[in-house]
Amino acid sequence: MSETSYAVLGTFETPDALMQAIPKVRASKLGTVEAYTPYAIHGIEEALGLRRSPLGGMVLVMGVLGALTAFGFQYWISAIDYPIITGGKAPDSWEAFIPIMFEVTVLFATFTAGLGMLFLLNKLPFFGHPVLSSKSIKSITRDRYVLALEAESEAFDSAAAAAALQAAGASQVEILPAPDRSPFLTSDYILRAAGGIFTACLGAGLVMYFAIKLFPVVAPMKYMQDQPRLNAQKASSFFKDGHGMQRPVAGTVARGHLPTATGTQEEAATLANPLPRTREVFAAGRQAYKNRCEVCHGSVGDGVGSLTAAYGGKPANLQAQQFRDYPDGKIYWAIVNGKNAMPSHAADLSESQRWAVVHYVRALQRAQNAKDEDLKVAIP
Amino acid sequence: MRTDAAIPAGDIPAGLVEPSLYVGKVTPGSLDDQVLAFPETKPPRKWYFALAITLTAALIGVVSIGYTFYLGIGAWGNSSPVFWAFDIINFVFWVGIGHAGTLISAILFLFRKRWRNAIARFAEAMTIFAVICAVIFPLIHVGRPWLAYWLFPYPNQRALWTNFRSPLLWDVFAVNTYFSVSLMFWYLGLIPDIASMRDRTTSKLRKVIYTVLAMGWRGAASHWQHYEKAYLLLAGLATGLVLSVHSVVSFDFATSVVPGWHMTIFPPYFVAGAIFAGFAMVVMVLVVVRETMELKNLITMRHLDVMNKVILSMSCIMGYSYMMEGFTAWYSMNEFLHHGFMNIITGTYGWAGWVTISCNILIPQILWFKKARASYFWMILVATGVTIGMWFERFVIIVISLHQDYLPSAWRIYKPTMVDFGILLGTFGIFFTLVLLFARVLPVIATTEVKAILPDAQPSHHGDDHHV
Repeated sequence: MSETSYAVLGTFETPDALMQAIPKVRASKLGTVEAYTPYAIHGIEEALGLRRSPLGGMVLVMGVLGALTAFGFQYWISAIDYPIITGGKAPDSWEAFIPIMFEVTVLFATFTAGLGMLFLLNKLPFFGHPVLSSKSIKSITRDRYVLALEAESEAFDSAAAAAALQAAGASQVEILPAPDRSPFLTSDYILRAAGGIFTACLGAGLVMYFAIKLFPVVAPMKYMQDQPRLNAQKASSFFKDGHGMQRPVAGTVARGHLPTATGTQEEAATLANPLPRTREVFAAGRQAYKNRCEVCHGSVGDGVGSLTAAYGGKPANLQAQQFRDYPDGKIYWAIVNGKNAMPSHAADLSESQRWAVVHYVRALQRAQNAKDEDLKVAIP
Repeated sequence: MRTDAAIPAGDIPAGLVEPSLYVGKVTPGSLDDQVLAFPETKPPRKWYFALAITLTAALIGVVSIGYTFYLGIGAWGNSSPVFWAFDIINFVFWVGIGHAGTLISAILFLFRKRWRNAIARFAEAMTIFAVICAVIFPLIHVGRPWLAYWLFPYPNQRALWTNFRSPLLWDVFAVNTYFSVSLMFWYLGLIPDIASMRDRTTSKLRKVIYTVLAMGWRGAASHWQHYEKAYLLLAGLATGLVLSVHSVVSFDFATSVVPGWHMTIFPPYFVAGAIFAGFAMVVMVLVVVRETMELKNLITMRHLDVMNKVILSMSCIMGYSYMMEGFTAWYSMNEFLHHGFMNIITGTYGWAGWVTISCNILIPQILWFKKARASYFWMILVATGVTIGMWFERFVIIVISLHQDYLPSAWRIYKPTMVDFGILLGTFGIFFTLVLLFARVLPVIATTEVKAILPDAQPSHHGDDHHV
């Protein structure tokens, strides 16, 4: 026969007939022998001389790779990149990695078994295979067993192949012409379906874009955001004084510190500042002064702070002669106990912070009332 | 096994040959005409009626979840100290339902139990639908579902990584792996069946859809060889998952120090419970499918009988587990554990404890009788009972353990809200909607697998008879 053909298909009624025909057809040596069946026939791979499926080895390799990947990933994160101790376990305690190692092993192995079988070994999806457009395909996927003699070269003799199949007991023989175009994706339906899906995605994307742009989005989980709670500096009808932020109860001291200045201010006059005059102490004092004192006493201690105008009170002008003459202990006493409108800072400044503030106030006073000899100190 | 009519009756001693797995004459062709033709027929009115009911239930769930999104999870009854309630109960319940499908498709496949072939497809589909229902709950439970991707370890701007020592993270991996593997298993099994449907359909639209889904499957022997190998490997891999997924779910509880949770029996106990609940659900749906889809010749009373035996054996394992829980509480001489166990049978929620015990342990004992295993009334009663009982078992484990733990000043009674019930009803609606849709559009019986076990399906000259 001069016309090129892809294969000759012979239909058999029973698996027994198929199995008996396979050695005969193979012996004819007319082309490659392949069988098409509605389900897996046991023993057919030996009869057809098929290579053993390499899938088991592939799955083993990928499964081991999955286990190693999961272990390496978890070890690197838990012990190297982000070593946080949880539950009192050492960062590199590997026992906890086992469940995820198992899951990732199964995941890698499963995808290798499933997708490796479909895509790598069986070369699917393959919509344009000539057998799919044969007359026999309907019976192949139903209840018939088909043996195909596939052309290996131009010299393939389809008439001889058909005769060989008939001699082997085929009840029907079909000569399958070679496909006249590229066998890959010949079905126009597939292309049309892909186009349809793309158009639908594009349409849905556009609709979502304009829906979000044009219509106000309802804030989700409002309950989680609008909680019945007090924000700092806000008024509250709950407390008698109407303030949202309450002072600590009377007698509260900073954590870990006792108020060392009790009694009257005069009695505290004898207390000596225990801190040395170092750069660190002045820096700490300056920080505490900025946080706690500056709003009323002002940045240079002149009693003109940012809150003074708002409250209309008269915070002490620390630059006044009266306060420049104060011994350290009396300033310390005022910080601990408060004075006039000034509240106690015992609850929010530690003992050393209070003494650091005293040093800083001294520094402010000296800076505002500098003498000539101070310049000599400053410029050696 | 041969069931040829040619063999005269009486030649074979009773009990030598297994009873047939189907009734009457079944050939590969008749199987296709019966099972694969079904999706092409017009759905009957009762199908639309059933779909209306399940869609209504699903809609109630969607509205309840929508309300939760609008308001936040304060819409639920969860409150200190019962922070895990309906959301986690339902999650554990639905993940458990899925286990029957995996057991049937994986473990019974490895054991060469041929009765699985007719029901495997359906059970696998139920696995996937159940896991879909299950994953809804952790997603909405996190409170800000749009940030649920934070559950995964990925490089992020905050330079934070997930905690690999947390069972909750193991759960993320376990459930995602479970879903992926189940889907792969199900789809691989469907490919040859979809190819059959592709080649028999006359509708153009169906032809396109089936062509794409079948990926050009043509039944080549060289393909079948890899396919069978892949299926065997997947069965082996999924077997590990049957045992691991619910074990990991049980770690969520067992690794904490809450009395009633911190027990070594939890992993096997959870796995047995999952298979138990799953089989009950499969029996329930199978009876309906068998009756409405006229599959009595393929899904026989023998299938249901075997399923009921599995339910009975799992019920006994559950009974043993409950007793061990009590024994552990007593033998530990730990007063917190003791108090926790007494709460189950005499506490505020004692009724829930007794619902669990009667539905899971007492009622299934009726299945010892052959007549009960062959009666729709009893098997539906048991299956419904087990479904209710297993839901309440998770209620008992989660709510009873949490509502009274070490700190009596924190004890509080938990009350679910209507939104909680709405979401629970909704997942049942989603599950059965998916089941109904599946039954209409895809073959409910794995025809390829059943064809391979019909008489004369395998060549007779082939020496050993491992295919029998």
